[in-house]
Amino acid sequence: MVEENQGSPYTNLSFKKRKMKRNKLGQEEMIGFAMIIIIVAVVVLVFIGFSIRNQQTENVESYEVESFLQSALQYTTDCENNLERFSVQKLIFACYSKEQCLDGRKSCDALKDEMTKMLNESWRIGEERPVKGYDLIIRTDKNESILGLSQGEITSNSKGAVQDFARGERLIEIIFKAYY
Amino acid sequence: MVMKNKFGQLKIQQMAFMLMAITLFFALVGMFFLTIQVSKIRESASVLEEKNALLLVTRLANSPEFSCGNSFGITAISCVDSDKIMALKNKAEDYNGFWGTSNIEIRKIYPATNPVECTSSNYPNCNIIKINEEEIESEYSNFVSLCRKEIANGQTYNKCELAKLMAGYNG
Repeated sequence: MVEENQGSPYTNLSFKKRKMKRNKLGQEEMIGFAMIIIIVAVVVLVFIGFSIRNQQTENVESYEVESFLQSALQYTTDCENNLERFSVQKLIFACYSKEQCLDGRKSCDALKDEMTKMLNESWRIGEERPVKGYDLIIRTDKNESILGLSQGEITSNSKGAVQDFARGERLIEIIFKAYY
Repeated sequence: MVMKNKFGQLKIQQMAFMLMAITLFFALVGMFFLTIQVSKIRESASVLEEKNALLLVTRLANSPEFSCGNSFGITAISCVDSDKIMALKNKAEDYNGFWGTSNIEIRKIYPATNPVECTSSNYPNCNIIKINEEEIESEYSNFVSLCRKEIANGQTYNKCELAKLMAGYNG
């Protein structure tokens, strides 16, 4: 009876159909699995991409910038009072105290003028140069702004340093960032 | 019986593919993390290299032959006495190999003027002081404050300018 059934064309057709159905099921499983892997891989890649991008925006401490700030503070300006010629560091305090230079200029104007020229000579910016821009902030510990200078474009890759100095109870903070 | 075997084979094949895919997937993820770690290490290595090079130059600037000391009323770091350097320039041969550098140059960058090398006849109206002049393979530079005593209206005052100290090395 069994042999008769196996040999019949009807039985052969249903067997083929079942086989095809099983093969199709297996293929669908594999495609599904591949799709899951692709989706997970894409999610992981997006996550990694974001984490790398966040790391790049972090400010890298730079010894060159630190040396620049230390040297710039010692620079002797052409603003003077009856006693001495001001260094940049003393000129910052003079600006904070709203003092005037002996030649009648405001100390803040002299400070801005000197710092702008000094930055332009020391950190030359341009498309073909490594430095794309810079940002200088001079402020007190109470967040009172003394001077802010910025030029060029702000990129995600920067090197910077902070320099603090005090006179009496007043603490001044200079923050400089160079963008590459 | 043959059908069951075939179905089993298919299942084993499926599992083998799945295992291979999982291994491949984790290998790829591992490679990504490895790449990130390697790039982080490279970044810190370049920062360390920069730090070492700049510290070397800073050490040079703070050596007694270069540094301002207390002559300018302040004990500042990265402050170079240009009068000392000019005296040293004339004795450069005595210091051959002393600092481990092949070339030492101080270049005034602010206020900017046309490049003129300093000699005993044109000093201080110049902006480049060369101490040693040898062929170099690598050069490191850092900002320094170049100070000297200046006289104006019969009074002496400290004149500090912004410069770059460049140290060149062979090998």
